[in-house]
Amino acid sequence: MSDWQERITHETAPAIRAEHELRYRLAAPIILAGGSWADLGCGNGLAAAAALGDARPAHALLVDVEEDAVARAAQELAIADAKMIAADLTDPAELRQVRDALLALPAEPVVSCFEVVEHLSSFVPLLEFSVELARDQGVTFVISVPNDAFWSINNPHHRTSWGEGAFEELQQLLPAEHTLMRQVALSGSAMVGWSAAPEVHELAVRVGGDGMVATHFIAAFGPRHGELRAAALAVQADMAEQRRWERERESNAAIAQAMVGEQGAVLRAQEATIAKQTRELREQTAQFDGWRTYIHELERELGRPLAGSAEAMAAEAGGSAGEPPTQQPPPPAEPPA
Amino acid sequence: MRVAFLVNDLQLSGGVGVVVQHARQLSTLAGWDVTLVLVRDEEGPSWHGYEHLPHLHVRSREQAHSEHYDIAVATWWETTFTLFELEADRYAYFVQSLEDRFYRHDEAERLGAALTLDLPVSFITEASWIRATLAGLRPDARCYLVRNGIDKDVFSALEQPPLNTDDPLRVLIEGSPGSWFKHVHGAIHAAAAMREPHHVTVVCGDRKALGDVVADEIVGPLSHREMAALYERSDVVLKLSSVEGMFGPPLEGFHRGATCVVTPVTGHEEYVEHGWNGMLTDWDDLRGTARQLDLLARDRELLHFLRTNALETARAWPSWQQASQFMAAALLRIRREPPPAAGAGAARLLADLRSGIEVYGGHLHERMDYARRATRFERPLAQLRERRSGRVLLAAKGNRVVKIVAYPLRPLTGRARRLLS
Repeated sequence: MSDWQERITHETAPAIRAEHELRYRLAAPIILAGGSWADLGCGNGLAAAAALGDARPAHALLVDVEEDAVARAAQELAIADAKMIAADLTDPAELRQVRDALLALPAEPVVSCFEVVEHLSSFVPLLEFSVELARDQGVTFVISVPNDAFWSINNPHHRTSWGEGAFEELQQLLPAEHTLMRQVALSGSAMVGWSAAPEVHELAVRVGGDGMVATHFIAAFGPRHGELRAAALAVQADMAEQRRWERERESNAAIAQAMVGEQGAVLRAQEATIAKQTRELREQTAQFDGWRTYIHELERELGRPLAGSAEAMAAEAGGSAGEPPTQQPPPPAEPPA
Repeated sequence: MRVAFLVNDLQLSGGVGVVVQHARQLSTLAGWDVTLVLVRDEEGPSWHGYEHLPHLHVRSREQAHSEHYDIAVATWWETTFTLFELEADRYAYFVQSLEDRFYRHDEAERLGAALTLDLPVSFITEASWIRATLAGLRPDARCYLVRNGIDKDVFSALEQPPLNTDDPLRVLIEGSPGSWFKHVHGAIHAAAAMREPHHVTVVCGDRKALGDVVADEIVGPLSHREMAALYERSDVVLKLSSVEGMFGPPLEGFHRGATCVVTPVTGHEEYVEHGWNGMLTDWDDLRGTARQLDLLARDRELLHFLRTNALETARAWPSWQQASQFMAAALLRIRREPPPAAGAGAARLLADLRSGIEVYGGHLHERMDYARRATRFERPLAQLRERRSGRVLLAAKGNRVVKIVAYPLRPLTGRARRLLS
């Protein structure tokens, strides 16, 4: 399972893959009808490929901040006329490059931009870019942001937080003509024959109403925004994979906890050693002080300068030059502490 | 993009603090140059702490007259007086509250503040309720919602709310006691009426206005960092305001793990959910408020539940960086749109003016009537004061014994007063 689900891979949990796929399914009819499609923040292209099925638009522009991701998306989608751009969507210069490529597409393009805005350090350039293209160039945009407010998770990859309030702020900045949708999570169960042969169930699901919480917010604007139709997608949960993932997490957490415990024990042992050594140092210092006092007393009795004093140092230095040691009586020694 | 925000001064509290945050954040965006224009003549452009931001400037009104801006933004009703003096391609008004409500019915400022909402400008506001109100008042005008952010460096969201299972309930009361609509004294009385063990801290920058109150601790003025530390030591933020714009303090408390007990004041609906992350109390119900605080003091599971959810609410609230991106987008939009027609709002302005004149005419008439009645008393009183016996009588009027003796005679003196008037 990918870290924070920021990139959809083959290992991503089926529920999360379905969630991403549904957003592309929502846009798929207008993507295929128009013939020109651009995907901003295309990632690996897995969700788009699943949503489009066997059909492909005639022309595509794949954009992502990572060059590798764009290449993988191109490979996954296998669109004959696909242009690839690695671009930072917060950079006006790189957005201009995307704009030029977008306007070079033969038909009025449909642009999907799912789960991108929250990753941008500034969404203002992208917003200005998309609104201008929708208004003046006939480009249709379908964008999504997650409902961070519901999850109470500090996602380290999200540069901005989105919820009902923030989406309301975004909505007012879109062209007056737009379509808004909420994406909600589904849960359920299905019966299959004993042989477990693959089969397809047609489902009728009641959604919306009181107590409904959106997992994501969708906005479409541009000439074809009104063509979006509500949809639902249910996939079989990969319980084995889910169980594997949970057990992995549990075992990893247990190991991490044990490591923390071990480190704590090491730390405590080190603290005890430090305390012991500090105690020994104090004892030795006291012992040395006692010795020093005793030596000083002897030196006084012999009329010699006190060892370690400036006089003794001078005498030692002078002695080598042939000068006699000083005969000044030393001050009385202090008793050891 | 050259933007001028007009402010009265740079006292970094409340509304000015919000403007400075936006100015600071916008000035860090590529291609943005932001100026804070001080519209009061006595306010010099002294400014410390942001010298490292080369695209953030402070100018006096006179200095700003010689500059050209893409957008000039008024940020308080009095700053609109200077708005159109500045040379700008567009004019906007950042409305942080319906400021007429800060004044009582007989104060002239009330009309002045209300009239500024009729100006031919684009509006930006920080709360959904203001946006809805402006849409009703000025359906012709554009209004953008830009909610305030939170300084996540100072009011950083805690991992977990601190647990208080045994200690007295720690109640924090914050606000300016001099502002009638903050009801700081009411909050202090409500906390004092608690039956359960509690510890009340009042944060107040103006001790004189606070007077003698019952509180365990009175602190302030505090810096934002000190305030953040205090929120973290508190269980509940108690606010009984009757007028608020975006209502920031409980949200700051949420970030530091405190819940809140608040009135259903405007702005609370942005983030306070009764029974989920805080509690709502009725208007003027100090006893009921005390009982709610008692409930939290008794039921520590409920208290921790509210504090945990308050923290969750806080985590999703945008930072100043995000809020100012919305501000940038709104300003770009205003700059690109055609300016409002010169006559936009003129009909409403004149209607409001007429209604204001009628109200003040009524007040004036009433006061002149009082003055006329007072004159009738003043003449005999002046004559009385001229006589020695009269002076003795007037001096005796304040005597306690005389008052007790005179009390039963009030029906007679009252009749005399009525005859005189």
